Amino acid sequence: MARVELHDIRKSFGKVEVIHGIDLTIEDGEFCVFVGPSGCGKSTLLRIISGLEEQTSGRIEIDGRDVGNLEPVERDIAMVFQSYALYPHLTVGENIGFGLSLARKPKAEIAEAVNRVAETLQLGHLLDRRPKELSGGQRQRVAIGRAIVRDPKVFLFDEPLSNLDAALRSQMRIELTDLHAQLGSTMIYVTHDQVEAMTMADKIVVLKDGAIEQVGTPMELYDKPATPFVAGFIGSPKMNLFNGEVAAQKGCEVYGIRPEHIRLTDDGDWHGRVRLVERLGADTIVHAEMETFGPMIIRTDGQSELREGREIRAAPMPEREFRFGKS
Amino acid sequence: MKRRQYVIGITALAATFVIFVLPFIFILLNASKTSQDSAALDFSLPDRWVFFENLIAVVQARDYILLLAYWNSTLITVCSVALMVIFGAMVGYILQRRKSGWNTVIFGFVLAGLIIPPAVVPTIWLLQQIGLFKTIHGMILIQCAYGLSFSILLFRQFIGTIPRDLDEAARIDGASPLQIFFRVILPLLKPVTVTVIVVQSITVFNDFTHPLYYLPGRENVTVQLTLYNFQSQFVSQMNLLFMNILLVTIPPLIVFLFFNRQIVAGMTAGAVKG
Repeated sequence: MARVELHDIRKSFGKVEVIHGIDLTIEDGEFCVFVGPSGCGKSTLLRIISGLEEQTSGRIEIDGRDVGNLEPVERDIAMVFQSYALYPHLTVGENIGFGLSLARKPKAEIAEAVNRVAETLQLGHLLDRRPKELSGGQRQRVAIGRAIVRDPKVFLFDEPLSNLDAALRSQMRIELTDLHAQLGSTMIYVTHDQVEAMTMADKIVVLKDGAIEQVGTPMELYDKPATPFVAGFIGSPKMNLFNGEVAAQKGCEVYGIRPEHIRLTDDGDWHGRVRLVERLGADTIVHAEMETFGPMIIRTDGQSELREGREIRAAPMPEREFRFGKS
Repeated sequence: MKRRQYVIGITALAATFVIFVLPFIFILLNASKTSQDSAALDFSLPDRWVFFENLIAVVQARDYILLLAYWNSTLITVCSVALMVIFGAMVGYILQRRKSGWNTVIFGFVLAGLIIPPAVVPTIWLLQQIGLFKTIHGMILIQCAYGLSFSILLFRQFIGTIPRDLDEAARIDGASPLQIFFRVILPLLKPVTVTVIVVQSITVFNDFTHPLYYLPGRENVTVQLTLYNFQSQFVSQMNLLFMNILLVTIPPLIVFLFFNRQIVAGMTAGAVKG
């Protein structure tokens, strides 16, 4: 249905360029996640695609049509905001149907569309309430309803889950993934949470300082990060990254090893001492102070009986070490 | 501490009584007196209560001119306040939402409207040139011009508390700028709109000097000007004058009593984010 193509998109605010020429293709029906630290330009890029912000230069195509100079509504997109942005003076039903009523659709048609959407999102019993009478999760669902009622080609999500508590967030994550499977539309999703990116995305775009750092499937980014930044950003706990002397010994500029790829073994070459132990039940995160390396995070199984202050020996799993820079 | 609060409370109540309630009682008493009785202008109970006789006399005076005055005042108040609300909200919205180089200039004019006192003679001269002198619609425009700056400030402040995401959500939903304003923003301005309506309608309704300057003529009389009916160089009927004062004070008083809580809500909205 809708393929989104960005060609050399640049954006400046005053004299400061915040997006430095982005080329990207998002395939039809793909769930694409923009991820990166705050200030990396991911929200700006989303707003440029939506038409709320105008690009300084570059071309945007949706479905082969140049939409760079069109108003948001003409681009056939819908957007869900971080703050939900529900109209406080309208009921849930009127909120969902607002776009259709602006388009002067007949009342019966609007009612039917609103009911259909409410059915999908289990909002049927809330249609007459106002947004302030709803919980956070319900509001988010109304915001999504407002987006899907117009049956757009592309959905844009701007950190939609960051105002929800942890339990609700993981539930909404699953609902969104289900929704994507059900609708099969192209979705672009902005988040700073790498867990959301890993769990939901077909394709992840890692952004840093207004440029693309790497594009790939979640597992590609996990297994083959192109830069130390991507390596550190994807995966939790963070990959251990070392530069300077340690990296030089390994013959690279930055040496990285994920916490889950370090074995605690008596014949390991790495010596150190346990500084802190975090027990998560299923597994244990060990913060160790290693000789030569310095601080290092190691993930081990949940039954581990390690204590603070214990001497440990560790070794990296073969083929799981990362060497960045000259190899 | 408790005792001190008590004393302060009582003092404040007493002061309020002297400043606001005593004059009102004075008006009420004198409006109930006979003509000779009230000429003394003292704080005493009437010898004979002629409240309703006075009321009828005031209403009938000069061929029911008070009723015409009520009509004129209401017309001026309703029209000018409606204009202030519409234009104040629109200008406030643009000043708050669209940042451009012109904003400073426009805002400068708005502030000038508050700071620079209006000059009467040039205004009359201008009104005569454009044929609005001695007309009700001229008076409406003048009241609107005098009150607009304050309304714009209030609206601008309040619109600052409405998240910009709402504008953008409406834009994504396909609303034109006018639709965003009328269907999303304006309904959310209710608290501050009530404030503007109450504050400005009381000001306009109670205005004495501006109608005196800009709206001469028997047909154009407003309620405040009817006070002249009973006071002249040689003859003054104090009892009827006070009855007249009572009658023209009551409508704003009722408006104020009803909307008093919303006024404070609208004034302080935007003062603290929350």
